[in-house]
Amino acid sequence: MDEAPIITKGRYTYVHDVRIGSPEAIDVHHISISRSVTDFLSLCSYALRLAAACFPIFALMQKTMSVYDLLMLDKPVAIVFWSFVVAGLLIRQILRKQVKKESVIILPAFGVQLETVYRSGKTVHQFVPIDKILKSVLNECVTPVTCYWSLSLIIRGEDELLLAFKGLYPPITMLVPIWKALCAAIDDKKGADIPSDCDNR
Amino acid sequence: MSHRGKHRILMVSDFFYPNFGGVENHIYYLSQCLMKLGHKVIVMTHAYGNRSGVRYMTGGLKVYCIPWKPFLMQNTLPTFYGTLPIIRTILIRERISLVHGHQAFSTLCHEALMHARTMGYKVVFTDHSLYGFADVGSIHMNKVLQFTLADVSQAICVSHTSKENTVLRSGLPPERVFVIPNAVDTAMFKPAPVRLSNHEIVIVVISRLVYRKGADLLVEVIPEICRLHQNVRFIVGGDGPKRVRLEEMREKHSLQDRVDMLGAVPHAKVQSVLVTGHIFLNSSLTEAFCIAILEAASCGLLTVSTRVGGVPEVLPDDIIVLAEPDPNDMVMAITKAIDLLPQIDPEEMHNRIKKLYSWHDVAKRTEIVYDRALKCSNQSLIDRLPRYLSCGAWAGKLFCMVMIIDFLLWRLLQMWQPDRNVEVVPDINLRSPHGEEKWDFGADEI
Repeated sequence: MDEAPIITKGRYTYVHDVRIGSPEAIDVHHISISRSVTDFLSLCSYALRLAAACFPIFALMQKTMSVYDLLMLDKPVAIVFWSFVVAGLLIRQILRKQVKKESVIILPAFGVQLETVYRSGKTVHQFVPIDKILKSVLNECVTPVTCYWSLSLIIRGEDELLLAFKGLYPPITMLVPIWKALCAAIDDKKGADIPSDCDNR
Repeated sequence: MSHRGKHRILMVSDFFYPNFGGVENHIYYLSQCLMKLGHKVIVMTHAYGNRSGVRYMTGGLKVYCIPWKPFLMQNTLPTFYGTLPIIRTILIRERISLVHGHQAFSTLCHEALMHARTMGYKVVFTDHSLYGFADVGSIHMNKVLQFTLADVSQAICVSHTSKENTVLRSGLPPERVFVIPNAVDTAMFKPAPVRLSNHEIVIVVISRLVYRKGADLLVEVIPEICRLHQNVRFIVGGDGPKRVRLEEMREKHSLQDRVDMLGAVPHAKVQSVLVTGHIFLNSSLTEAFCIAILEAASCGLLTVSTRVGGVPEVLPDDIIVLAEPDPNDMVMAITKAIDLLPQIDPEEMHNRIKKLYSWHDVAKRTEIVYDRALKCSNQSLIDRLPRYLSCGAWAGKLFCMVMIIDFLLWRLLQMWQPDRNVEVVPDINLRSPHGEEKWDFGADEI
């Protein structure tokens, strides 16, 4: 394996691997996000607030409901306990959806594989054949409160762009080398196919 | 923030492309000419239907269509502080040095200027319209304007009449208001290559058919002129609520063959309609500048207009006939214009207008205003608050509270997302030949 250049900016880390593959080298770009102290503190405060929101719900539950006796909701200690349990379950769900790392693997002449690794350990893969990719673009996305860069692929026959990084918002300095690598791979393929692909040329 | 005396300007208004109008054209042409002078210009407006996000126009003019839906007459919903995060993000990521707001009626403009002042940016405001003082709507509008202009660095008005109106409405000191008239694209508005014969006189009217533009005057004037002069024909372009009245007038006096109603005319087709006429008739009841008569004069038409607002300042006296906004006076003025027609040379008129008005000249003069604005001293919140207090007994205190809350919200935003975490947009050279796009991240990036 060649040395892997690493760029770190804020909570994002970019690693570029070039793996020996056949017939050509496989280009792998990883972007991962680290947990910060503020993240942990905000999680705790979120959990406390959720638990506080559950107190009145449990307290107002009627005696006639079957779960009332099961969960022993007439005791205040039980209400507090069950509120924290519900809050804990909701927090666990949120954590599972958090993305830990996303990768773009460029297999020359085959296609592009997009991988998303979640904190729960689950990994989601998506493969796009190189023939279906028209171009890769860097877009500025504007929301009512902010503006950020995103790397997308224009897929033939599809109305919508395919985002390369679905859960993360990496900085532009990390997206540019990946975009250049994608453009090079797509252009190489187009160059090899010039007699058959004559839309724009 | 500026490179070799060049500025990075953010133009803000609710009124921009794809709508067409005086303010929209002004922002577009001014931005293009400023970019030719070497400045960087970014436009911020609200989303128009599907047109949302970042768009690029001719010459690399970047337009942010922020997804805040308009709620009333093309204006964004005024939430006071709702637009603070997105405006702060745009100002930091584009490394803006100056914010230029357009049109007093634009809520987005007022909010952007307020937030820009809170964050310490220099601010310039251009007023494009005249407003009244008496009705409820105007009173509230003027109070809002007073608030915004209490702390603006410089202001620009499009005519001396407009300057007087703005100064009276806002209480701004006159020495901070510059007068830079609008201009016209003389390359687009050219006279007809073959001069029209004077056998049949054609009078052209192109305006929105609303009360403000004097559509009711037209209803009185057209039949009278058709009765007095048998060889006169009218072409009326434009649409609006008063169109029905004009159609009724046509029916009543059987003028179907002498009055052509074209309906709404797209801006790109205006020149082709103007060159079919000899005289341009403008019957507005109020007008800060009136680009329409300038476009008509550039096409070689003799203008007849109501003497209102800034209209007398636009054209030299020998190519315009002015009248009071009264039907009899206007009929006399049109008769005088018909008699003057043989002396008019369209090509000579066009060349004169070309020398008098150009957007490049407007851009150079605006550049002087920007230089003056950037020389103003930086002031902290404490120094700026007394200016708001002088706006009124109750209003002054209210405005001060609004600014203090804005300042606190800005500080909170800075704590949550520090300035250094907002990514700066690299300068992309769009004029480089096809091939390698250059990404200039600047010295502060990796």
